[in-house]
Amino acid sequence: MTSSYVPLWVKSNFSFLEGASHPDEYVEEAQNLGLRAVALTDRDGVPGVVRAWERARTLGMKLLTGSELTLMDGSSIVLLAMDRPGYANLCRLVTAGRLRSPKGQCRVHWAEVVAHAPGLVALWGGNQSLLSRPEPLADGLTGPLREAFGDRLYALLARHRTPQESASEARVVSRAKALGLQTVAGVEVLYHTPTRRPLQDVLTCIRHGVSLRTAGTLTRPNHLHALPTPEAMHERFSDQLGALERTVEVAARCTFDLSEIRYRYPSERLPDGQTSSSWLRRLTYEGAAERYAGHVPPEVRAQLDRELALIEHLDYGGYFLTMWEIVRFCRELGILCQGRGSAANSAVCYCLGITAIDPVRMGLLFERFLSLERAEPPDIDLDIMHARREEVIQHVYSKYGRMHAAMVANVIRYRFRSAVRDVGKALGLPETMLDRIARGLDYRESFDEARATAEGLEETSPTHRHLVRLVNEIQDFPRHLSIHPGGFLLGHEPVHDLVPIENATMADRTVVQWDKYDVEALGLFKVDLLGLGALTQIDECFELLSRHRGVELTMATIPAEDPETYALCQRGDTVGVFQIESRAQMAMLPRLKPRTFYDLVIEVSIVRPGPITGGMVHPYLRRRNGEEPVVYPHESLRPVLEKTLGVPLFQEQVMRLAVVAADYTPGEADQLRRDMAAWRRSGRIEKHHERIVSRMQAKGIAREFAERVFEQIRGFGEYGFPESHAASFALIAYATAWLRTHYPAEFLCSLLNAQPMGFYSPATLVEDARRNDIEVRPIDVRTSAWACTLEPASPARARPRSPLAVRMGLRYVKSLSASDGARIVERRPFDDLEALVRKTELNEGALNALAEAGALEGFESARRGALWAVRGLSRSRGATLAVPMADATPELEALDALEEVMWDYSRTSHSTRGHPLEALRPALRAQRLPEAREVQRMPDGRRVKYAGLVICRQRPGTASGVVFMTLEDETGFVNVVLWSRVFEQQAILAKSASLLGVSGRIQSEQGVVHLVAEQLWVPRLDGSAPRVASRDFH
Amino acid sequence: MDEETTQRCACLDLPALPLQLLLRTEPDWVGGPVVVVDEDRPQGRVLWSNALAWSLRVLPGMRYATALSLVSELRAGVVAHEMILRAQEEVVACLRTFSPRVEPSSTHPGTFFLDATGLERLFAGLSPWGLGVLEALRGRALQGHLAVGFTRFGSFVCSRAEGGPPVRVLECADAETKLAGTVGLERLDLVPEMRDALHRLGIRTLGEFLALPPEGLQRRFGTEAVKLHRLARGDLHDPLQPLPPPPVTARRLLCEQPESDSNRLLFLTKRLLDPLLELLAERHEALQEMRMTLVLEGRSRQLHRLRPAEPTLVASLLLDLLRLRLEGVALEAGVVELQLAVRGVRAEPEQIRLFREGPKRDLAAANRALARVRAELGDETVGHMVVREGHLPEATFAFERLERLDKARPVAEAPLRFVRRVLEKPRRLPPVPRHLRDDGWIPFDVAAGSVVKLHGPYVVSGGWWQKEQQREYHYAQTRRGDLLWIYFDRVERRWFLQGWLE
Repeated sequence: MTSSYVPLWVKSNFSFLEGASHPDEYVEEAQNLGLRAVALTDRDGVPGVVRAWERARTLGMKLLTGSELTLMDGSSIVLLAMDRPGYANLCRLVTAGRLRSPKGQCRVHWAEVVAHAPGLVALWGGNQSLLSRPEPLADGLTGPLREAFGDRLYALLARHRTPQESASEARVVSRAKALGLQTVAGVEVLYHTPTRRPLQDVLTCIRHGVSLRTAGTLTRPNHLHALPTPEAMHERFSDQLGALERTVEVAARCTFDLSEIRYRYPSERLPDGQTSSSWLRRLTYEGAAERYAGHVPPEVRAQLDRELALIEHLDYGGYFLTMWEIVRFCRELGILCQGRGSAANSAVCYCLGITAIDPVRMGLLFERFLSLERAEPPDIDLDIMHARREEVIQHVYSKYGRMHAAMVANVIRYRFRSAVRDVGKALGLPETMLDRIARGLDYRESFDEARATAEGLEETSPTHRHLVRLVNEIQDFPRHLSIHPGGFLLGHEPVHDLVPIENATMADRTVVQWDKYDVEALGLFKVDLLGLGALTQIDECFELLSRHRGVELTMATIPAEDPETYALCQRGDTVGVFQIESRAQMAMLPRLKPRTFYDLVIEVSIVRPGPITGGMVHPYLRRRNGEEPVVYPHESLRPVLEKTLGVPLFQEQVMRLAVVAADYTPGEADQLRRDMAAWRRSGRIEKHHERIVSRMQAKGIAREFAERVFEQIRGFGEYGFPESHAASFALIAYATAWLRTHYPAEFLCSLLNAQPMGFYSPATLVEDARRNDIEVRPIDVRTSAWACTLEPASPARARPRSPLAVRMGLRYVKSLSASDGARIVERRPFDDLEALVRKTELNEGALNALAEAGALEGFESARRGALWAVRGLSRSRGATLAVPMADATPELEALDALEEVMWDYSRTSHSTRGHPLEALRPALRAQRLPEAREVQRMPDGRRVKYAGLVICRQRPGTASGVVFMTLEDETGFVNVVLWSRVFEQQAILAKSASLLGVSGRIQSEQGVVHLVAEQLWVPRLDGSAPRVASRDFH
Repeated sequence: MDEETTQRCACLDLPALPLQLLLRTEPDWVGGPVVVVDEDRPQGRVLWSNALAWSLRVLPGMRYATALSLVSELRAGVVAHEMILRAQEEVVACLRTFSPRVEPSSTHPGTFFLDATGLERLFAGLSPWGLGVLEALRGRALQGHLAVGFTRFGSFVCSRAEGGPPVRVLECADAETKLAGTVGLERLDLVPEMRDALHRLGIRTLGEFLALPPEGLQRRFGTEAVKLHRLARGDLHDPLQPLPPPPVTARRLLCEQPESDSNRLLFLTKRLLDPLLELLAERHEALQEMRMTLVLEGRSRQLHRLRPAEPTLVASLLLDLLRLRLEGVALEAGVVELQLAVRGVRAEPEQIRLFREGPKRDLAAANRALARVRAELGDETVGHMVVREGHLPEATFAFERLERLDKARPVAEAPLRFVRRVLEKPRRLPPVPRHLRDDGWIPFDVAAGSVVKLHGPYVVSGGWWQKEQQREYHYAQTRRGDLLWIYFDRVERRWFLQGWLE
């Protein structure tokens, strides 16, 4: 029997573009090979270790944690953590190397290695190490190393059967003898199975920016970098069995396990005599008194006491105080923020001002947020107005310090598009061809043989086969670390004792090497500070109301349950309203007819893939409209489902269902929730299927209902909302709907200034406003500010919806920088164009942009004339002759109405002068093509031909290949449904046409009209068709 | 030339010549939108786009990535400058058979000007002449339009006019001006920035451009625009600038009777060589290369290319090379015609210096010797080894043709213990006998004896993307003490001899 061994030098695909296997694949393969332990030693860090640890924990394997460190001289050394202090030393060492290096690199000094030696085992060897190189070793290096590591410094004999290794191994052996080091056997493992060797070659090529044909010796010379079997290792090291056996000895010395990480949340600075708990209690009750105007209801008081007791028991007070402090910071600086997610289930969060939903009044489930049984860190996500989020982030850094606060990473992984580009380049395919293929791939589409053939790759060529295979193999491989949108990891002890910190690409940001899944898996606290455009818009709208109307409003003082606001929602007139503005939401609103705030909560939740794939939408609507009776599959489920008429719509209901109907313990229900969130990644949800369905059947619930509930659980995985989260969003939805209803000009102005955000382009927002009789004025260099502003509306207008008109801002002129805009505003007024050019010193590009946008019409009514003039003025600027040259203006053709609009679109992405189709209407009418508002009035089943501009294309994952498009003309929208067959037959037209003709049949139900397409076509028009940007497949 | 004869200038337009060349190499792309880009990257710039791509608004100057966002099925390729130059030479040679005065445009690769004056008499009219030109080019898989006008610029613009027949013969100068005025500016290959700026001003045709005030143009668009304006107005002298006639650097000689004797052939060749050397001397050039074509009885041909060690005008040296080559040539039939073409280069002062002190190691003499070897045994016989990066032994070096020997620059290295000899092609070895007899495995040479010791294996594998290789290398020591470098090929499951160590 061969002796066992432990692979000590293993690099996963978190050694970016080098390792060719996932961390968990190594653990599984090691178990298959009968090994008892395996190390993970990724290059310059530990980004993959949590995944490996989770898998090892499940399989009962021992995982050694370490890293291959790169030194300043370009050599390397492998370090393994023996114990917790050793692991902290490793993380600190990597942090030091990372923070001094550009993003993606790490270089440490030998002196730092020596200084961080306690608790670490060092394996010195391999072809990149100084020990194996021909150059003599410096005494100043070996002495301190030997002294610092003692017998924990091993000489690594690395064998990959290359001719050069004989000589280098001889050097390692002789130097080891001279230095008194013991040898240990190893292989640089880069993939778990030899079949991954081609992928490893390709990754190497991608890393070095070469192709396989030109890679030369950059790729490895052979395939002997797979995880070897014990037999193979025994054969490879048959003359060094002692070194092989020593791998087991090294593994035995390394007892560190990631579960040893003891995390302490940072303590807040407390007033004298206060503990975290007492201070939190005081703040909570002060907040409660404010929330309930001095009369805290008994049930709220009871809930607060229950929550505070649990928080104290779990010692989570510090976390709540942190969130309170951040919210207070925002309030003091006038930064609008609001908690979202499960935190809205907490009365404490509500009283601290973190969330805005009263959970007691809404009957929300606190256990969804925090429970004794789970004892996991609470998750409070704070939405902050996106324009000022960076201020809050920098506040957190400065408050806790860079060593105690770092942002969580986001792992950027290969998807089909990026894979086709990178793999194809390594295979030597033309980049232009790869770009064409990649752009043609929808992000949900796979890349298979048929697709490659359709793209013109010869089916019989080996490159074709390699491309398809490798593109699929590289899927989900991490490519590099990016930064999480807002997740912070805070620690009482320095964060670099938990995980290495490195520089982010963004200035003034530092980031840890773990992503949110890793942080969650280890039970660490994460503070999520997320940017939300809608809050920026609301904040700006409040400011406009105060300035122009003298109306002072806050989120809390917006009048509740306003019938006019609900009437607007019931009409589906919700362009720009947070969360309920999408095509699907607008189609749902007239069916659901929201009358109360809770209806909005349901509206927000129901148009989600969870309820849709679970088949819950139509039953709910039928019951709501009284078209079918409200029945419960089992009487025990009535309390769970009563609020939603017997149909589960929220995540909490699914959890409760599992408890009540399938006898899940709260802990199991929580595991179900976690598995729901991770199912697409791991497929863990499947194990619940049989358990849920069979237990529900045993309780007398029909199998059909049980299966439907399970489908919904599956759908909830990525897309389902908890009720509390939906309620938080519904609050913002209500606020924006109320503002749109009562102050449409201010609403539009703030929305335009908060762009980019939301579902619609500025062009559509302006068009929608024009249709609603809001006066929108074009950009004018004499009056426009950088942002959009409000001006008194023209008194001559027939049906003014608002006494104010919106003046478009200079920010909408493409190619005009903010500094250009500032100069225009500061140096006004201008007597003429010459004065504008002279005083602003704008460059020719900016002047041309203003002329083309029509912003100079105040000086020169014809845009071409303005263009001619500014070109001449800007080019003669700085001429030494003071005498103005006579400059005849030629007769230039005036723009027609369509051209004016199209110039607006090309320079400002919108037009206040009209819709592109307005000028084409006579031509369209001559072809008997109706307007959108006529289509909206057509009866169900009518055949129709319609042409409009495509403003949105969507292909939801839940819709089995059905594509939804929104077409627009000067009178409104038409929603088009394309069955997958029609889409596939006319994919190019469907994906690329800007002005599109559709023949089909009207589907009209409860005031919601869709045009079901049978054929697409390009409308026949004189001249070129207008092109506008659409929002596609987002 | 008759003084009454009106000057006629023709312009041949091979639209997007690089694109046509690309489609000649990628015939499958015909019918789809295609562009030529300056480099094979998404950020590469579109240089030329075909009619379909153009109609979809893919215009020169765009980035390929931008163009692709407009037309998802757009195909692109790079056309090397050398390829365009070769094609231009090919077209010029063809056009010379139709007009003695031909000028390829220096700025538009597909544009050629021809002097058509008086040619209607030779070709029964200018239209048949023009059709003949286009027909000849079609034979070379090139498509074009031709306009015969009265001025160089006018005919150029008219050749770009949309629609109309492939050959357009303009009857009078007014007709040329009138037609030119209707031609779109975007068809005149203007600088993209100027083209787009004029388009935004609503100036779409040359006629509209002519209506702009010249002083305003100068101020806004600079001298290029003014030059165009003057050309269009006819204010700028713009004569045809034909290429000079090709110099006679080739001669031929018909043998009175088929000749096989190399001495006599050499003597005949000398008759061709002497006047060609005189011609080169007049041009202050020295001979760099000779191409000798032997036309044999039955019209088969043999082509021989010879290069002296350095450019020279010394006939004896060149005749010596010719002699060596002719002596080595096997002729299947007698030579009925001899052709000799020479190529010269500007003579260096060194080459005409009378007294030169020869170095101890005479590099020039070495190069002369190598030239003689080439002349006698062929060009491929003189080469040298270059080191390459690669894992397989045969990928670590390459044998490259040596054009010229440079001064040696030896690097001081420790003396090698072994010299490795590598076989050009690995030699297959007999398999290891399943049952080894007393004499063991004798892989190579009985005299060397059987293998007594194997060192290895050293594994080299890869090449999976073209031809999978998996070799296990060993050093095999034979009974006689030879050190063989052998490998077991895992794919072919055989042993091979790669080389040996000395």
